[in-house]
Amino acid sequence: MSLAIANLSWGHPLPGGGWRQLFDGFNLSCQSGQFVVVIGNNGSGKSTLLNLIAGTLKLGGGTITLGDRPLHRYRDHRRARWLGRVMQNPLEGTCPGLTIAENLRLAERRRRSGLSASGLLGLRPSRGDRHRYRELLEQLGIPLAGRLDTLVGELSGGQRQTLSLVMATLGAPELLLLDEHTAALDPKAEATVMGLTEQLVRQLGATTFMVTHSLEQALRYGDRLVMLRDGQLIGDWSAGERAGLTPASLRGLYGSAIVGATEPNPADAPAAP
Amino acid sequence: MLTLWLGAYDQGLAYAGLALGTYLTLRVLNFPDLTVDGSFALGGGTAAVLITNGVPVPVALLVAFGFGALAGLVTGLIHTRLGVNDLFAGILTTTGLYSITLRLMARSNIPLTDTPRGIDQLPDLSAGFDDEWGLALTLVVVGLVLLLALLLSTDFGLALRALGNNPTMARANGINQRRGLNIGIAAANGLVGLSGALVALFQGFADVTMGIGSLILGLGMVIIGESILRPRTVPVALIAAVAGAVVFRGLIAVALALGLEPVDLKLVTAVLLLVALAAGRLRIPGLSAQSKPEP
Repeated sequence: MSLAIANLSWGHPLPGGGWRQLFDGFNLSCQSGQFVVVIGNNGSGKSTLLNLIAGTLKLGGGTITLGDRPLHRYRDHRRARWLGRVMQNPLEGTCPGLTIAENLRLAERRRRSGLSASGLLGLRPSRGDRHRYRELLEQLGIPLAGRLDTLVGELSGGQRQTLSLVMATLGAPELLLLDEHTAALDPKAEATVMGLTEQLVRQLGATTFMVTHSLEQALRYGDRLVMLRDGQLIGDWSAGERAGLTPASLRGLYGSAIVGATEPNPADAPAAP
Repeated sequence: MLTLWLGAYDQGLAYAGLALGTYLTLRVLNFPDLTVDGSFALGGGTAAVLITNGVPVPVALLVAFGFGALAGLVTGLIHTRLGVNDLFAGILTTTGLYSITLRLMARSNIPLTDTPRGIDQLPDLSAGFDDEWGLALTLVVVGLVLLLALLLSTDFGLALRALGNNPTMARANGINQRRGLNIGIAAANGLVGLSGALVALFQGFADVTMGIGSLILGLGMVIIGESILRPRTVPVALIAAVAGAVVFRGLIAVALALGLEPVDLKLVTAVLLLVALAAGRLRIPGLSAQSKPEP
């Protein structure tokens, strides 16, 4: 599904008083199936943008449209029908007290919440479900196929993030949101998860937003690279245009205007009496 | 001694609904629900009023479940719709329920021993233990455990467990947190109301203050059960809650047999719970399964 963000506005109060208007009339649209990588320094609004799309933060104004669906009109759990999310912290994207099979089942049923009458029919995950999950994990080369009854809390961070990624792609999501999903992983786990990410995104064909701090990732993955600074789009490159970029040139763009993420922007601070 | 433990078995089963309800809110939903103190007395009072007015016992028990569930729903709505903190929501409901229960009962205590219908159809309750009473209770509790075990193994139950385990993740997978909490808290308090009714029947009276300390009682039962059975699956956890209720009542019966007086019961309850809670820290053999590293 194509995604259109139009005239988005969002701000937050500052710790010392005052207000920071992060997004003010922000626009971004992308075609169906596009894999967009989002970079920017801390506080540039990357993760906030993902949270606004997912509905965990409330819009100040503007619209977010997925296909012909006004996403911003739905509460976060309703948006989840069409959204797959992988969060930065491996602890956040899975249920540690449930087994691998139970976690996969939750994700698979995302379009029809379990809390309905149909959710009472049948014991889950059923034998058929388990068979399907085992095949899926084997097919993706994830060595968890034999451990469907293991509690997710007993897995390593990398394994949990791998599972989280598989879960995000279950239930036919139309938009995939990846929020620095390899940031907490060691290099080996990062490579595994990124390899799987590319494979799953291509298989799924869903529009994808991936936020990252890794410039290597930014230059390697995706069809389009966008750069944010203080809630504004300051760079937008297609895969072809990106070929001319280097980590150093990107870092140059970052460095020219680094405004502290948590410190108030002097321009926004109330004037001294 | 056998009589004592058999009596504790029956009593424990009467309290099983309280233990299961506490398990549902505290362990499944991860919601510290203080409504329990109010819904327990509400269930007992409702059943007593109905039974003394000639309503058959099973119907009275069902109504007690329904009223308990309504009380739970009120707490759920206060928390999910009005955004009131979970503990406050429960306290508010419980405070209000005290008056409601008293209004329903029209007096603070209703004896159930000399009623014209209903209770007399049941076996004599004064003997301390009775086979038929025990059998009926066993069937009810086994039925409840089976039903809960099945429910918690459906997509519906999975959604509730996910909400308690990781609400962010649950919402990101399409689960309506408000609805889940409302349904879960209502069901739990329904069980607690039912338990209150059974306890009133068992002890032969309902009292408007009978719910005081129920939450801590339920918690103690759940924790003792967990210490004994160390459950890793939901069905075993449910059985553990029931077992905890029986063992807890047994320990209290032992305390009474040792010469402690009924006025000391709350203190005994508190000490027993303290021992169960501190078992991990104190590394008491056999009770220290849940031990956590020192901070």
